[in-house]
Amino acid sequence: MSEAAELEFLLGQRGTSHELGAWVIGLAFGREGRSLHAGLGDGTVRVAQVSAPQDWLSVEAHKGAVLSLCADGQDGAITGGDDGRVMRIAPDGTATELAKFGSKWVEHVVAHESGIRAASVAKAVHVLDAKGGLLKSLAHPSTVGGIAFDAKGKRVAASHYNGASLWFVNAKEDKPRLLDWKGSHAAIAIHPEGGHVVTAMQEMSLHGWRLQDGQHMRMSGYPSKTHSLSFTNKGKWLATSGAEAVVLWPFFGGGPMGKAPTELAGGDGVMCTQVACHPQHEMVAAGFEDGLVLLADINTGRVLPVAPPGQGGVSALAWNPAGSHLAFGTESGFVGILDLSAR
Amino acid sequence: MSDQIPVTVLTGYLGAGKTTLLNRILTENHGKKFAVVINEFGELGVDNDLVVDADEEVFEMNNGCICCTVRGDLIRILSSLMKRREKFDGIIVETTGLADPAPVAQTFFVDEDVKRATRLDAIVTVVDAKHLLARLDDTKEAEEQIAFADLILLNKMDLVSEAEAVEVERRIRAINPMVELIRSTKSDVPITSVIGRDAFNLERILAREPEFLSGEDHHEHDSEVNSVAFEVSRPIDPEKFNTWMSDLLAAKGQDLLRTKGILAYPDEDRRFAFQAVHMIADGDYIGPWKADDARKSKIVFIGRDLNRPQLRRGFEACQVAQGTAA
Repeated sequence: MSEAAELEFLLGQRGTSHELGAWVIGLAFGREGRSLHAGLGDGTVRVAQVSAPQDWLSVEAHKGAVLSLCADGQDGAITGGDDGRVMRIAPDGTATELAKFGSKWVEHVVAHESGIRAASVAKAVHVLDAKGGLLKSLAHPSTVGGIAFDAKGKRVAASHYNGASLWFVNAKEDKPRLLDWKGSHAAIAIHPEGGHVVTAMQEMSLHGWRLQDGQHMRMSGYPSKTHSLSFTNKGKWLATSGAEAVVLWPFFGGGPMGKAPTELAGGDGVMCTQVACHPQHEMVAAGFEDGLVLLADINTGRVLPVAPPGQGGVSALAWNPAGSHLAFGTESGFVGILDLSAR
Repeated sequence: MSDQIPVTVLTGYLGAGKTTLLNRILTENHGKKFAVVINEFGELGVDNDLVVDADEEVFEMNNGCICCTVRGDLIRILSSLMKRREKFDGIIVETTGLADPAPVAQTFFVDEDVKRATRLDAIVTVVDAKHLLARLDDTKEAEEQIAFADLILLNKMDLVSEAEAVEVERRIRAINPMVELIRSTKSDVPITSVIGRDAFNLERILAREPEFLSGEDHHEHDSEVNSVAFEVSRPIDPEKFNTWMSDLLAAKGQDLLRTKGILAYPDEDRRFAFQAVHMIADGDYIGPWKADDARKSKIVFIGRDLNRPQLRRGFEACQVAQGTAA
């Protein structure tokens, strides 16, 4: 990007940055918006207050590495680690063990604002209540590649080899709806209105199911694997990583079947690694393999540069629930926090 | 890319001494740290800081290629280990005695994330000199583990006579004429002979040359997996070779365990190296031909049910027409 030097990056004007020293695996603002949590490859979780984004405290959360991190139900964050533990990290950095599953890796964690949480360990998804009690353990035919709650927290979907399983969290008898599709499925997302499930596949394509009639949706053409999926607020668009642009699939007007995706912010020949849709507006934040971070307005295609390349491939992105702050993290441990609120 | 972490794959039948070798590597005082991926049916405990249990989940790729399989668990584990790569210098993957090495090898060809972050250093197979011949007769995994090996540790040498050892080596070479053989007792070998071999590098292809054109067919009636090797002296037409090879791999890829070749293209000063695991192929230019090298193209097939005359004719037909040789 020869013109990069001439561009004004938002990070310089409205942001603060910090070196955390290890691969940023996940970022999450607390749902109440007070704190920002970063899970790292060295097993620590770093916590900063949004009001003082330059001060980070370090919490020894896991013995090996943090494998996944997400916002907890009310505030703070939860993490899964390779020491088999699920931890809760409060906004002030207090760490509490919620569950321990032997020596197996806790590869994925998700939480819903109702307080319910789910953690995947090998072939099982363990559902925990707000107090950390184990509600149920759901078994799958192979190792779980990703998990997601629906917007209401009533169903949890887990991807695996040859498809995905959709479970009702409160069912008396646990019997999943099996969504079949040959191949290995990893990242997973449920449409905000609950009607579609989409997975990212080992075969460098996406697969989706329309739940109402079981209609399959094939979304292909990616030059690499998609690791990051994000629906816009109302579910009009699905933003995805894995191409040399932000690829957005239309979930309206009969799409995505038979529709071409919209591509934004392409042209540099650099792979998009992370996407995160704004919690209210039709705007997507995207991170690239060279460290570039940008914001793109989906309807106008207008792009705002956030951070220049050079600080390591972008490995995590998060919005606060109000949509006023954006955080990004990279493979080399660099984090940036931007205050985008009106001044 | 020097940034890629080397991965050593340890295979071998149950009881051959694989775990003993692993523990030797880990305890020898070499100043290197390893992350170890073990299978859940390991024979002995492994004493190391970073040990990961693997489930050996073999996934078929849904890409129309029936023999393209990968190890789903390895993709997940290696991708995750990369996020803390400063904690170790290399990764060792131990497989179960019954594992087919093909999905492990193919994982390093097929998965972009794994390819970007790691490189397959070598497939090391530990065999029991005393019992190998019996294993070869009653299991197909033992043959495959030999066919895929870059290095074979002929272990338990204290239990066999010299004549028995020679016979075992002959059988191994009939299956895999390129493999490096090291005799050992109780897996006692210097770590440098096992780790850091870079044997999967295209530049190291045919580092150990099979006996080309020896006139002796490596066919073994008592061994299902065989090898054949050919050498031609006129340059290879890249277009003809690619057409022939893609047709061949598509039709016979399931039977072709490994294919390796060094090719001389017309008017090209660099050698072209080629290798395939079943249907998955990889190739690139490597260093230049030496001034005094005879620019001969060579290819080796290891597999089942190999039709030697047909393969020979096919390879010979890839040469440029007579008279146009540079």
